Amino acid sequence: MNKLYILAFFVALLAGCSKPSDKIVVATAANVQYVMKEIQQEFEKESGKKMEIVVASSGKLTTQIREGAPFDVFVSADTKYPEEIYKNGGSDQKPEVYATGALVLWSKNIPEADLKPEALTAENIKKIAIPNPKTAPYGEAALQVLNALKIYEQTEKKLVYGESIAQTAQYITTGSAEAGFNALSIVLSPEMKGKGHYVIVDSSLYTPIQQAAILLKHSEDSPKREASEQFYKFLYSAKAKAIFKKYGYK
Amino acid sequence: MDTQPLWLTFKLAGITSVLLLVIALPIAYWLVFGKFKGRGIVEALIGMPLVLPPSVIGFYLLLAFSPSHWFGAVIEEYLGLRLVFSFPGLVIASILYSLPFMIYPIRAGLQSLPASLREASYTLGKTEWQTFTRVLLPNCKPAILTAFVLTFAHTVGEFGVVLMIGGNIPGVTKVASVAIYNEVEALNYPAANAYAMVLFAITFIILLVVYSINNRLLRVRQPA
Repeated sequence: MNKLYILAFFVALLAGCSKPSDKIVVATAANVQYVMKEIQQEFEKESGKKMEIVVASSGKLTTQIREGAPFDVFVSADTKYPEEIYKNGGSDQKPEVYATGALVLWSKNIPEADLKPEALTAENIKKIAIPNPKTAPYGEAALQVLNALKIYEQTEKKLVYGESIAQTAQYITTGSAEAGFNALSIVLSPEMKGKGHYVIVDSSLYTPIQQAAILLKHSEDSPKREASEQFYKFLYSAKAKAIFKKYGYK
Repeated sequence: MDTQPLWLTFKLAGITSVLLLVIALPIAYWLVFGKFKGRGIVEALIGMPLVLPPSVIGFYLLLAFSPSHWFGAVIEEYLGLRLVFSFPGLVIASILYSLPFMIYPIRAGLQSLPASLREASYTLGKTEWQTFTRVLLPNCKPAILTAFVLTFAHTVGEFGVVLMIGGNIPGVTKVASVAIYNEVEALNYPAANAYAMVLFAITFIILLVVYSINNRLLRVRQPA
C-alpha cells in the first residue's frame, strides 16, 4: 500500500515535467504588448516557428532574467535595462534600439480641444496617472514634460503612479484619474480604440524614448537558438519597422 | 532606508484591526446565537477573501471606487472623498480583505463557551447585551486576541489589493509591501532586503508575543 502511495506521488511529480517546448519565449515590456501580437503573427507566418509572449514591466522582466528566467529575447521599453543585462553577462551581443516611442496625454472624459499638459494644473483635474518614473521610461518622460513646462510643483500632489504602463492605462480608462500620460502604442492598439481622447505630447519636452532589445544567453545551447536568432533579426527587419510605425513608433 | 512606508503599513494595519474588531463582534455573535435563514450564504460571503485572489478584490474595488462608477460618484459628491488612490480607500479595502481573519476566531471562541454560562447570566437577570459584554467576551479573550493579531498581521502582508487601487503615492498609499516591490523592480536589492528584514522581524515578534500570552491565558483556564 505504502509503495503504491510513493509510486503515485512520483507519477504526479513527473506529470508536471513535460518535454521542453521548442517555442521561443519573448519577454515583452508592457508598452510593446499589442504591437508584439502583430509582430508575432508575421514572424510565425514567415518562419514557421512558434513563439510565446510574456508581458510585464521592463524592471520586473530584468529582475526575472537576472534570476535565470527562461526567456530567449528581451524587448524592453528603454535602453537602460538591456544594458544592465548585457553588463551582467546575460548576453554576448550589445542591445540594439528597435524603435523610438512617443508620449501621449490621455483622458477618459476631457475632449482633445482642452487636453494639453499645461491644463493639468486646472482645478477639475484631481488625479494624474503616470507610470512609475523609477522603473518605466514613459513615467520618466512624463516628469520631464511637467518640469519643462514648470508645472511640476502644482501637479505633484495630483500624481498617482501605475506600476507599469498597462496599469496606468487602467487608471485612465476607468476614469479613476482624470488624465494621465501613456505610450502612443497603447492608445493606438485595437484594445484601447475609442477609450477616451488623447493628444501627442510635443517631443521636444522630453528625452527621446529609445527602446532596445537584446538576444539572451539562455537559448545558446538549446534547440531554440536558431529560432531566437531568427526572431531577433526579424525585429529589425523592414517588415517589423512597418508594423512599429503603424503603432506610432518612430 | 525610508521608514515612511513601514509607518504607513503599521498605521493601516492598526486602524483596520480596530475598526474590524468593532464590526466583527456583532457579526460573530449573530452568527453563533442568531436565528435566521441563509446562514450558509452569509458565512460563504465572509469567507470569500480567504479564497479569492487579492487582484479580484482589487479589480472590483478599482471599478467601484472610480468616480465614473455610481458608488465612487456618490462618495465623491457627498463626502468630497475619492477612495481610489487614498488612505481611507485602503482601509475599506483592508477591512474586506481581512474580514474572515477577524470573524472566524471570534466565532470559534464564542462557540466553544458552555451554554450554561449564558443561561446562568440570564437567570441572574442580566440582559443579552450585558451577558455578551460582561460574561461571554471576557471568557474568550484568547480568541479575540488571536483574531486581532491575525488581522493585523494579515493586513501588514497585504499587497495585491493595494497595488491595484493605491497608486503608489509616497506617504499616502505606498505601504512597505509595495515599497519592496518597487525596489526590486528598480534592481535595488539591498533596499528591498532592508524593508523585508524589518517586516519579517516585527511580524515575527508580534506573533511570538501573542502566542506566549495566549498559551498563558489558556493554561489559567485549564487547571492542571
